[in-house]
Amino acid sequence: MTAVIHTGDLAILVYFLVLNSFYALLLVLSIPEIWEQTRLAEDEDFQRLMQSDALPPISILVPAHNESATIEASVTAILTLEYRNFEIIVVNDGSKDATLEQLRHAFGLYEVPRTYPESIATKPVRGLYRSRSRTRLLVIDKENGGKADSLNAAINASRFPLVIAVDADTLIEPDALLRLTRPFLLGRHIAAVGGTVRVANGCTVKDGRVTDARLPRRFLPGVQVVEYLRAFLFGRLGWNRLGGSLIISGAFGLFRKEYLHAIGGYRVTSVVEDLDLVVRLHRYLRRQKIHYEIPFIPDPVAWTEVPESGRILSRQRERWHRGLIAAMWLYRGMLFNPWYGRVGLIAMPFFTFGETLAPVVEVTGYLVTVVGFALHAIDLSFALLFVMVAWGYGMLLSIWAVVLEEVSFRRYRRFGDLLRLLLYASLENFGYRQRTVWWRFKAFWSVFTQRHAWGEMVRKGFETAGSQVAQPAKAGRTDAQQ
Amino acid sequence: MTALQFLWVVAVVQGVLLVALIILIILNRWFRLRRSARLQPRRQALDAAMQRWAMGQSPAAQVERALTHLPASLAIDALVTWSARVPGERWQELSRALATPWWARVVRTNYRSARWWKRLECARFLSVAATQHDLGRVLRLLRDHHPAVQIAAATTLERMTSPVLVNAALAQLPQLGPTVQAYYASVLRKARTLVVRHLQQLLQRSKDPRLPRVIEFAGRLEDPGLREPFTALAAHHNQEVRSQVARALGKYPHPQSIVALRLLAQDPAWPVRAQAIRSLGMIADPATLALVRDALRDPEWWVRLRAGLALTRFGGAGRNALLAAEVGVSDASRDMARLVLGLTPQALAEYAP
Repeated sequence: MTAVIHTGDLAILVYFLVLNSFYALLLVLSIPEIWEQTRLAEDEDFQRLMQSDALPPISILVPAHNESATIEASVTAILTLEYRNFEIIVVNDGSKDATLEQLRHAFGLYEVPRTYPESIATKPVRGLYRSRSRTRLLVIDKENGGKADSLNAAINASRFPLVIAVDADTLIEPDALLRLTRPFLLGRHIAAVGGTVRVANGCTVKDGRVTDARLPRRFLPGVQVVEYLRAFLFGRLGWNRLGGSLIISGAFGLFRKEYLHAIGGYRVTSVVEDLDLVVRLHRYLRRQKIHYEIPFIPDPVAWTEVPESGRILSRQRERWHRGLIAAMWLYRGMLFNPWYGRVGLIAMPFFTFGETLAPVVEVTGYLVTVVGFALHAIDLSFALLFVMVAWGYGMLLSIWAVVLEEVSFRRYRRFGDLLRLLLYASLENFGYRQRTVWWRFKAFWSVFTQRHAWGEMVRKGFETAGSQVAQPAKAGRTDAQQ
Repeated sequence: MTALQFLWVVAVVQGVLLVALIILIILNRWFRLRRSARLQPRRQALDAAMQRWAMGQSPAAQVERALTHLPASLAIDALVTWSARVPGERWQELSRALATPWWARVVRTNYRSARWWKRLECARFLSVAATQHDLGRVLRLLRDHHPAVQIAAATTLERMTSPVLVNAALAQLPQLGPTVQAYYASVLRKARTLVVRHLQQLLQRSKDPRLPRVIEFAGRLEDPGLREPFTALAAHHNQEVRSQVARALGKYPHPQSIVALRLLAQDPAWPVRAQAIRSLGMIADPATLALVRDALRDPEWWVRLRAGLALTRFGGAGRNALLAAEVGVSDASRDMARLVLGLTPQALAEYAP
């Protein structure tokens, strides 16, 4: 038994060393990336030339399901984005509330015939509407089919070569589209571009815009700010130098439409449609031997509301992990497959062993340690020191994300917010991390038992300027539309 | 060293790193605040000097002095911002004054720097302050391997027209993506005569694989001097060339264009037919009405849509053709006519070529 525990310990130690060395590599690679991106973002010439006629037109796809409380404000905010040529396609995905009526009333909708072929099969479209006051707006009313199906319907109707999927409750910064097109302007072979998603909880929001970025006072949303910073600022930036990430946030990512058509759009049966889409995109482009890039650029920002209760957060994380497991299993043929280049040899192994299996290894590690103590097979001081080092490393990565934020974009201007950010980064490993590991671990059980619940996402709504009081925007919203 | 001792070393190193990072974050914030407080009055002084100079109340030397008090990057930012507000002749006076200050000389020497951001800074500066003496520098920056430097250097062409620079920019066109091409088309507007002459030569190289991109770019200029080379390429063996020609000719209402478009409207490739029908709609010559009407029966949906939309541009005759098709025998043309006739003027405008 002691030998088994020692072997288990050793295996976990090796796993820990390899994984954290890879994180260290990502961290190192993120430094030149953020340096380059910050330099380019600060270059005002880009702002000037981005406002020229050269910009590629963009279709903004907005799936909406039971969004009557916020749909008018969301669409109005998107309509005022700083970009010359874009259209908005809102898809009412069989809402049971008055989403369509709200849109009809607010924008003077009138029905128009369909003028495009159904390239990607979707649930039946009940009607198409244009606006009397906003010529850029097209509304599709269709039967309920989920977020992926709505996005496919919007792709079918879109007229422009670039499409961006935006959640109806995501706040896009006015210049975010301009910034997101920068890689196209630099003449690169871009298949898709991802931007940064930040946490809107605690921020002051006015007319659909974040006017004052603040850190939430509550621990749970606060610690998610650190998580998002870590995921976007050094995780994804580091991946730019390793052949591109497998994830472009579904809430904010720009895609070349011809490639989406080629892969048949979003997969409606996927739990996490954004991950599934990007993996399939990589697969298709590699198979077709198309030279491409899927970069992440940090300066275009969209703000989203994160869960404030443990119950909702647990469902969200469990669902995300369930989607990750499903995608890694579905596309296992790409794993260690040299045909797919760096995606098959680096990204897929990392996401399979480093991300998907991480909660299993961590839970096993805790169990082995407890059993080891019970059997006196592990030295107490060694085990405690090991756990301390492991947590210290996690803390170091989080603090590093804060460093990247500070030397680049500094969205949180107040000194108090900075201190709070450091505090959350320090406390993340004590309790919160273990809870997320457990939620992700449970996803394996859900996959095993074929339980595919979406979970319920109750949103508190964005704070408004001046009052700083949260208004309940909507309740009982399903997470299927996240 | 035992495993325990090793762990202790790692723990101590981690602890030191953590403290160092936290100190770095706090110091970084403090330094930035101090720097900002120091530079803000200087920025305001520069803005005031610029404003006085722009209104003719003070000489350019005052602006030059105010610029000297700012770091080069901020001075360049200010120059770029103000360059859009001050008329060209007046701005040239400042450009000449900026040939001599020490900081401007340092920025100019960066055109050969090994670091791309230094070259970018130089390109940005030259885009608003280049004189004839900077020709060689701009030329080198135009051929830079970093796309951001190239684009910043290309901006110089808005203010400075030189055959050498124009030719260097045009030589790069076929390698550029559509977005960058469109930007080049906008900056080269001033040097139109030179550009058209050069493009006329490029369009004669019918075997050049870069031809479709050259036509795409040339089409944006809508210059009458390019019509003939376009029509000459209507029978080109490459489908993409024919497609670009069909698209470009819509902007040239000329009998020769119509002859070429008639040919392209019968092309075996549907993207070429769709572009040709669209262009015929833009020209709206009554003699081509029958041809466009026949395209309503095309086997490809997109060609039929283009034909339906094109007919709306032929006025009453086009509408009558659509009404006739709506009750005609062909299912395909009937559906399309019904669809197009059902579009509101606003929706039609959305689909307008």
